[in-house]
Amino acid sequence: MATDAPQAAPAREYKLTELMAICAAREIQDGEVAFIGTGLPMLGGMLAKYTRAPNCIMIFESGVVDARPRRTPLSIGDACLVPGSVMLGGLTEVFGLLMQPGHVDVGFLGAAQIDRFGNLNTTVIGDYNAPKARLPGSGGANDIGSLAKRVIVMLKQDARKFVPKLDYLTTPGYLDGPGGRERAGLPRGGPSAVITDLGVYRFDQATKEMYLDSCHPGVSVEDIRKNVSWDIRISPRVKTTKPPTKRELRVLRTKCDPEGIFLGT
Amino acid sequence: MAEPELHDKLIPIAEAVRKFIPDGCRLRSGGIALRKPMAVIYEVMRQRKRDLTFLMSGWTEDADFLIAAGCVEKLEGSYLGLEAFGLAYGYRRAVEKGIPRKVVIEEYSNFGMTMRFMAAAMGVPFMPVRSNLGSDLLRIESFRHPKAAVLEDPFGSGDRVALLPACPADVALLHAQRCDSEGNAQVWGQIGDDLWGTHAGKKILLTVEEIVSTKVIRRDPNRTIVPGFRVDGIVHVPFGGHPYQVQGYYDADAAFRKDYAERSVTLEGWQAWADEWVYGVAGHDEYLKKLGEERLNRLRAKRLMSGQVSYGY
Repeated sequence: MATDAPQAAPAREYKLTELMAICAAREIQDGEVAFIGTGLPMLGGMLAKYTRAPNCIMIFESGVVDARPRRTPLSIGDACLVPGSVMLGGLTEVFGLLMQPGHVDVGFLGAAQIDRFGNLNTTVIGDYNAPKARLPGSGGANDIGSLAKRVIVMLKQDARKFVPKLDYLTTPGYLDGPGGRERAGLPRGGPSAVITDLGVYRFDQATKEMYLDSCHPGVSVEDIRKNVSWDIRISPRVKTTKPPTKRELRVLRTKCDPEGIFLGT
Repeated sequence: MAEPELHDKLIPIAEAVRKFIPDGCRLRSGGIALRKPMAVIYEVMRQRKRDLTFLMSGWTEDADFLIAAGCVEKLEGSYLGLEAFGLAYGYRRAVEKGIPRKVVIEEYSNFGMTMRFMAAAMGVPFMPVRSNLGSDLLRIESFRHPKAAVLEDPFGSGDRVALLPACPADVALLHAQRCDSEGNAQVWGQIGDDLWGTHAGKKILLTVEEIVSTKVIRRDPNRTIVPGFRVDGIVHVPFGGHPYQVQGYYDADAAFRKDYAERSVTLEGWQAWADEWVYGVAGHDEYLKKLGEERLNRLRAKRLMSGQVSYGY
């Protein structure tokens, strides 16, 4: 495995989207309740269920509890999530009864911008009243980031996304650092990992600041620094992300997204 | 024994839109990523309604169509995108460039909007949530002042909540699987925020896949989410949720959504799309004819019956 090749990335037997979904699956422990959004987090959830965490419970925003989809769901409301689930309700049941009182262990979020404390922007790029790009907005992201016991953030990384200051704070990470969530009155939670196409980041327990935990195979610390717009802290024990196992890849490709809807074909 | 005026609730779609959706009203769409009242949305475009305030937790094409068509002035909601198919370019053009007109949005979260509908449905002025705190959702206001308030528990727990104002609608749209002639409406599959959003409507306009005998409803009353006496108008529109799914009836038309996502990126592309699928089509029947029997058959759901329970006592 070539971990330090500086120029051309080594020929890989997997795509970076596949590695991201696999990293997501590795964050889910057996028996946990996971709140799943569409795309890579869903593939991660399904992969976890088929491999390391058969007893994890996937819940979906539109009201499905313990979904066992037989095809790749196209959206959080996909009707294929319904047959075989254990309970159906709506947003009130999922957010009100399961998430707000603290029964959800882990949620997954995407972002257009992230800062050093894991705060997320999915609302606008540029000035709020005259935006360069109008994005979809919070959806359920603010609720998930506020109320889950922990969240995993997944995004493709570049320096314009890893910014010192967000254009809009849609979803709270650790806000302004230690004690930030408590001062705002949030009941619990915060980001525990950030998974990108370059590496995996975690948060210092004392400073609440993001640090690089592992570089993906073929990615250097220099590559990471070039793609973060602040002086990113690097773990003294920075690792190389464990590449996908054959089993992880096989299950992901054959059972989670056989048509390559989210992984690409 | 149905009374004659109850049958009058069943009206054609063009008449329903003329009667229940005046310019400038607060209109609530339904269905998060499925079971959306699309037949009504198309007719609102054809009748060129103006200055609507559009309300929803999770908008997709329904809002993008109306915004790009110039029907909307204000939005109160939480998400507007085309999900896996990308960003909503009608919305982007309106917010970024004022094309075809400027729209403004008051932003909340999905749970926040659901609780706002719940407040309106229950007739209370606001509801508390424990999310939204610390974020720009509470700090940045557009046209509601104040859009939210923060309260420390007056009963002494020390917990803090965000209070979100009730979100009433002049008319709430619901696309349901079936109802009887009185409008007792049954929905199954994911409910999203449709229970609260529908009841937040001062008036409720129901569209359904099927109209069934009242016996069918009364044999399984747990499935009813709005009783007929709350419903003002009923429109029978098979495939009325196309291109979205309706559980038990048909699947999503992903090719249709992808085609819209690609063509709506440019203003010219959007116009050509709308001329082809909305303005150039006289109504819902012609829309279905244009889709064609073969395409509709491909989308039709296979049967997957639930078990039955005994209501005996």
